Amino acid sequence: MNFAIEAKNLLKNFGDFRAVDGISFNVRRGETFAILGENGAGKSTTMRMIACRSPLSDGELFVEGFNIKKDEREIRSIIGIVPQENNLDPDLNVRENLLVYSRYFRLEQEFAIRRTEELLDFIRLAKKADAKVDALSGGMKRRLIIARALLHKPKILLLDEPTTGLDPNVRQEIWEKLEELRRAENLTIVLSTHYMDEAEKLCQRLLVMAHGKIIADGIPRDLIYEKVKRYALEVREADALPLQKTNANFIAVKRGTAHLYFAENADQLTLLMQNYGSRPMLLRPSNLEDVFLRLLDTQVF
Amino acid sequence: MHFALSKVDLIDAFAVWRRNSRVYLRLWKTELIAPVIEPIFTFFAFGFGVGALVTSKINGLSYLSFVGAGVLAFTVLMRAVFEMTYGAYFRMVYQSTYDAILATPVNAESLAFGEILWAVTKGIIDTLFILPLVIIFGSATSAFTPLAILPLTFGCLFLGSLALGLTAHIFEIDHFNIFFALFFSTIFLCGAWFPVELLPGWLQIIAYILPTTAVIDLTRACLNGNFAFRHIYETVYLLVVSFVLLNWALRSIRKRMVV
Ligand SMILES: Nc1ncnc2c1ncn2[C@@H]1O[C@H](COP(=O)(O)OP(=O)(O)OP(=O)(O)O)[C@@H](O)[C@H]1O
Ligand SMILES: [Mg+2]
Repeated sequence: MNFAIEAKNLLKNFGDFRAVDGISFNVRRGETFAILGENGAGKSTTMRMIACRSPLSDGELFVEGFNIKKDEREIRSIIGIVPQENNLDPDLNVRENLLVYSRYFRLEQEFAIRRTEELLDFIRLAKKADAKVDALSGGMKRRLIIARALLHKPKILLLDEPTTGLDPNVRQEIWEKLEELRRAENLTIVLSTHYMDEAEKLCQRLLVMAHGKIIADGIPRDLIYEKVKRYALEVREADALPLQKTNANFIAVKRGTAHLYFAENADQLTLLMQNYGSRPMLLRPSNLEDVFLRLLDTQVF
Repeated sequence: MHFALSKVDLIDAFAVWRRNSRVYLRLWKTELIAPVIEPIFTFFAFGFGVGALVTSKINGLSYLSFVGAGVLAFTVLMRAVFEMTYGAYFRMVYQSTYDAILATPVNAESLAFGEILWAVTKGIIDTLFILPLVIIFGSATSAFTPLAILPLTFGCLFLGSLALGLTAHIFEIDHFNIFFALFFSTIFLCGAWFPVELLPGWLQIIAYILPTTAVIDLTRACLNGNFAFRHIYETVYLLVVSFVLLNWALRSIRKRMVV
């Protein structure tokens, strides 16, 4: 058994509405796997199904070899969940949030106390251990939720938009912590995000969802080469000028008031720059965000 | 037949219970004072105020002796109901505490069971503090007085379950108003402040259908030691209703939380 998660034709209906439409994918053990997609694409719903928080409408799901339909308890005890919405317990202080939570996993008390202090150090909140949760900043709350998800030393960590709304510093710090965990404990990490830099930086493989379906998946670099060309030229405030036509050398896209060109060869793009005089321009390697936006552009529903 | 109760894991439910007790212990002063102040004033109001107007004996009891069970049961049952309406709603909706707990091996049934156990516990704690008052005010004369805990426990169980089940169906906190209007109205019928026999026939029938009537009657019997054959029926009725509503509450919480 090579996969931490095996999903086959996952389907989720809410009444008449199909939130997840028969998706299949595998997550390898010890990798960081990202789920991307617009608002409402079905990322959270997919993660909630993996976490046994939401029953499947149809399909099959195996987590560390356990069948989700039969071994719910086993799966829940090897998964750590960082939900999209904060749900720390405001009636308890920082330390109690971890201690009380550890009981739901039946951790031995001595171990729980040790683990709590260890994790408070890890997320650098030891000084705030006696503070009320409401007194924490957004980034501290997020770190505390991550610590809470790690209490029972899970094999799989599910993070639903772990860094949304956080400043670049804190995001950087959270990324480092996650990478550290993955390397040190061979943790499998599945995360959803709207930040393409986050996905590009952290994950080995990813999938992109739209309207409950998978519209692309693979290794970030391969996807960039496959779905867009290697280089991108971005021209801002270009709406008054005509967009050059896509041809054999480059792809042209209009996005808001900006013009974008993708080419395999940067020289092709340099030539195009002449058309735009002194408009703000940026010539750069293509990135995951380009892939993401291209995918949504070309998607027909 | 498949009961939701069979899915409850007691260790998990106890973990949920301990979460609530931890919060309670931190706030115990405010938590305890309120439920004790109220019955004291209710005693003054009903026992001395209304009692002075009531010269007739009720089944051989003075009004003060009669109303003691009402004051006790009303306070204790209210406590369980409040815990499983506003308390539970806050944890479920505003604080997402249920959501966090359900991300662990604890299942919906164990969560709901732990919550109800906690409401019952709060009722029992209040009973322990109010019973001495009842004795001081002279409303408890029997050696069976401590047994009043039993009907009150089941009273909290059935009403706590009913309340939690309703909470699971409520999406606006204001909708509790309807439930409380009904709840307070029925308390008047259930023999807390005057005997059910004084009601017109058709209202008596309604009163006896309401399990709260059984809770208050059984509590009163424990306080004054006048047991009768009907108390056996009432006990069985109370147990059956508690069991049914408990299962309903567990099912309702699953339906609400696991989607
Ligand atoms: N409990 C629910 N009942 C009804 N519809 C739901 C429920 N949960 C999610 N949905 C719907 O399913 C779709 C997918 O929602 P989901 O939360 O999975 O999206 P998402 O990809 O996580 O979006 P976001 O980036 O905004 O978090 C949405 O259209 C949403 O409205
Ligand atoms: Mg989401």
